[in-house]
Amino acid sequence: MRRKSIIFALLLFMVVAFMGCNNTDEKVTIEFWHNYSAADGQITVLETLIDEFEAQNKNIEVEHVFMEWSALKNSVTLGASTSVLPDVLRGDIAFVPQFQSLNVLLEMSAFSDYATQSAKVLASANSSNLMGTKYYGIAANTNTKILFYNEDILEAASVEVPETLDELWTAVSAVSSDSVIGMVEPWTGIWNVGPYIWSEGGEVLSPDNSTAEGYINSQTVVDVIQTLADLYEAGELAGPSMDPGATGDTDGWASELYAFELDGPWRATSNAAAEINYGAMALPEGSEGSISVLGGENFMQFKNSSEEKQEAAWKFIKFMTDEHAQVEMAKVGQMPVNLAALENDEAITAMPLLPVFQEALLTAKARPVIPEWSQVEDIIATKVAEAITGAKSVQVALNEAAVAIDALLDE
Amino acid sequence: MKKDNYRRKKTWFEIFRYFITLIGLLVMIIPMYYMVISALKDNATTFIYPPDFFPSFSVLDFKNFIYILKNVLFLKYLLNTLFVAIITVLLSTLISTLLAYSFARLNIPGKKILFAIIISVMLVPGLALIVPQFELASMFKLTNNLWGVILFYTAWVIPFSTFLLKGYIEDNISKELDESIFMDGGSVFTVYRHIIIPIASPSIAAVSILNFLFPFEELGWSQAILKSDGIRTLPVAISMFFRAHSQTDWGYVFAMTTMAMIPVIIFYLLLQKYFVTGLSSGSIKG
Amino acid sequence: MMKSAMKLEKRKRFNRADWRTWTIFLPGMLFVMLFTIYPILKMFIMSFFDWKIGFQQTSLFIGLKNYVDVLSDPIAIRAIINTFVYALVTVPLQMIIGLAVALLINGIKKFGLFFRLGYYLPVITSWVVVALLFRYIFANTGLMNYFLIDVLHLMEEPISWLSSRWSALISAMLLGVWKGIGWNMVIFLAALQAVPLNLYEAADIDGASKTQKFFYVTLPSIKGTITFALVMLAIGAFNTYTPIAILTGGNPMHQTEVVLTWMYFQTFDALNMGYSAALSMIVTGIIMLVTVLLFGLTNRKKVA
Repeated sequence: MRRKSIIFALLLFMVVAFMGCNNTDEKVTIEFWHNYSAADGQITVLETLIDEFEAQNKNIEVEHVFMEWSALKNSVTLGASTSVLPDVLRGDIAFVPQFQSLNVLLEMSAFSDYATQSAKVLASANSSNLMGTKYYGIAANTNTKILFYNEDILEAASVEVPETLDELWTAVSAVSSDSVIGMVEPWTGIWNVGPYIWSEGGEVLSPDNSTAEGYINSQTVVDVIQTLADLYEAGELAGPSMDPGATGDTDGWASELYAFELDGPWRATSNAAAEINYGAMALPEGSEGSISVLGGENFMQFKNSSEEKQEAAWKFIKFMTDEHAQVEMAKVGQMPVNLAALENDEAITAMPLLPVFQEALLTAKARPVIPEWSQVEDIIATKVAEAITGAKSVQVALNEAAVAIDALLDE
Repeated sequence: MKKDNYRRKKTWFEIFRYFITLIGLLVMIIPMYYMVISALKDNATTFIYPPDFFPSFSVLDFKNFIYILKNVLFLKYLLNTLFVAIITVLLSTLISTLLAYSFARLNIPGKKILFAIIISVMLVPGLALIVPQFELASMFKLTNNLWGVILFYTAWVIPFSTFLLKGYIEDNISKELDESIFMDGGSVFTVYRHIIIPIASPSIAAVSILNFLFPFEELGWSQAILKSDGIRTLPVAISMFFRAHSQTDWGYVFAMTTMAMIPVIIFYLLLQKYFVTGLSSGSIKG
Repeated sequence: MMKSAMKLEKRKRFNRADWRTWTIFLPGMLFVMLFTIYPILKMFIMSFFDWKIGFQQTSLFIGLKNYVDVLSDPIAIRAIINTFVYALVTVPLQMIIGLAVALLINGIKKFGLFFRLGYYLPVITSWVVVALLFRYIFANTGLMNYFLIDVLHLMEEPISWLSSRWSALISAMLLGVWKGIGWNMVIFLAALQAVPLNLYEAADIDGASKTQKFFYVTLPSIKGTITFALVMLAIGAFNTYTPIAILTGGNPMHQTEVVLTWMYFQTFDALNMGYSAALSMIVTGIIMLVTVLLFGLTNRKKVA
């Protein structure tokens, strides 16, 4: 009995193992990894779009696979050396330099009509695909962070909507009480503190990205971080990376614990779902203006896909970056990069905040596009957290950050 | 009189014993209780302060469970996990009984060193091997394939299973038994089939339970291997579902995890008696 | 005479490693070699390289640099210390509580299965789920602070359990102990039921008290199980990942990293494959040392 079942198992194994090799279908199946959110209904929209695409291209089949942000990154890392990779990936703009350092990305600007397609999308968003003189992706969605505030809390504390960064910090203190924490900042990387630093005229790295000394530890940056540290000490600023016990931002918004957050378009979706009375505006101006951080996702392709699949994938990417797909995605909270979609009435109705984001995008700044960026940002996040939580004085922590980053960049 | 007193004392002691055990049990299951209650409640009320331990019955319903059954391939994930678990148990039982028999009885050159090597596999942190093992898996085309999970799970549970089974064989099966088979002209195969397997069966059962539960728990490797939605096992599916829902739809997440526990509980209830007989003897007794 | 000669002959046949022996032994051994030992060797080799995981990239041999990097990295050292503390606290605690529960349940005549299942539930619940539940318990506005402030009135202000190194580790250790009690209960129950009854009867005749019976009969009889549990739990403690990853993610400021969370970071975020390989070799060495010591200690006691 047992022996029989084992033989059966082994047979089954061989069948399954060899099944993959005999795929002589006429259809081209492309594998598409992404991290569209299911809760916001994006996956449902994606599935409809794929159906439409397949109806237009009878010989192509798109198999989509959801993976959350870190699983997406880790899977590409693990699969790099043996080319266990998808044909298309839609992921964070910060993945481009990382994946390029793994030597897996396909140069997309090699497609003859790349220039035509990329002319249809926001140039600023697409710049995150540029490494050297070549493009290794095309923008899928863009986003930046704007200031969200809970109108009920502001009203209850009779606090006006701030117009400058200094007014923002005063407002954060003013609304804080036993049951309200003025501001939430989920992490302390440049994604989070960058806008405050840039808006006051500070920088993270030198313009040629070769050193942090004199930039991340300059007086301007020290002053900005000191402001945050003072708020944190007064219990007016919270965040899970500074205090893992702090309420997460989404849960905190829902329970009306947090009054302000600089965040992306998803905050509008989740606040609407939680029925929060919120307002939003571009980041109030610092001494150098209102400079937010550029985020978003790009479509990427991999050079080890067969040529046939690369062509099919490129077709799919063009479909996804055209007006129709972009408008559909805008309806579920993905900010379009397609210029026509940005003007589209349907998209604007679906995303009332679109003009605010577009205003912020005009001045938003990209994080440095270097392969070591995730390590650099981890150093900054660690040291800034040390400074904000008072584990070290701000100047000391940022000096240490400069030394550690320079050691990394020198390698 | 005295006896009566003693009996009364004994009864009091018994009541005290139940009381303490019950208090401990309550502390142990508070988190599980909260999970089930949250699965029955509206999403938004999961993590509120102060916590609501005894919500009125009117707010409890099964709509989170219905949502999961309707919108998620829950049964498919369950079947995948069961498939992985069953094949892993079969393969690992076969291989580890053979190895345990070899190490316990057969005359193999360098046996002690080989056994030490197999045992030391247990000491290497599993996560560390993910990079070389993934390369191996993709070499054999095992990625995005349930067999990529099964074969590696089997390889991981073998050292521990072999260790337990070897001890059991050494303690419970006398060498004379083997030799009487040889006297009758039987081979090592006969011994394995007619002596080792039947006599070691309690230990095999205990080891099988542990190995069966493994795929219901393991996350790191299965998440690296199983990409497509249709072949995910329950831990991967739960983890992905939780992330895809932006970590907020707690009601759905807990409904899913509550349901995922049911098969494991049934399995435990069915086989728990073997746990005791299979583990009570063998190498762990020392 | 004849018979014993034949026996000798058979014995020889038994002792010789012929094709049958190899048929029994080799498939399994090769399977384990291929799927676990080969990757371990590969990792050992990786630990001497600046290992590049990318496509068609060449890795550079750098000798012991990875090992030097690990041992001179304050976060790695902190992670190893945190892991040690985690092991030193959770292993004995869950064994003692598990044994206590086993003793309680062993004497229970009714509802035994009910209690066993109840205590075993945490073991069969996925780590991710229980870690999420514990994150809520120890959050600033979580169950633990609610109990301490509003139910027991022990404190005025909430404690930020997860915001500092030791209190966050305490939370993780409580989770580890809570999840481990059931496993210990099961194996100690098994061991307790295997203690020969006549030993207790003999002790009764000698007029031993309950405490005396526990220390002079029960404990010595389950010594093997204790060693076994000790070694298994120590290995498990060094493999702790999910509790920390979910409770704190190593935050704040890498204060609460354990070996595996730091290894994960180095592998996937920093792409320092060589560093992670060296770290895991070092940890393997430590676990090996601990295991040998544990077995050595208990064996010496046996002799004495």
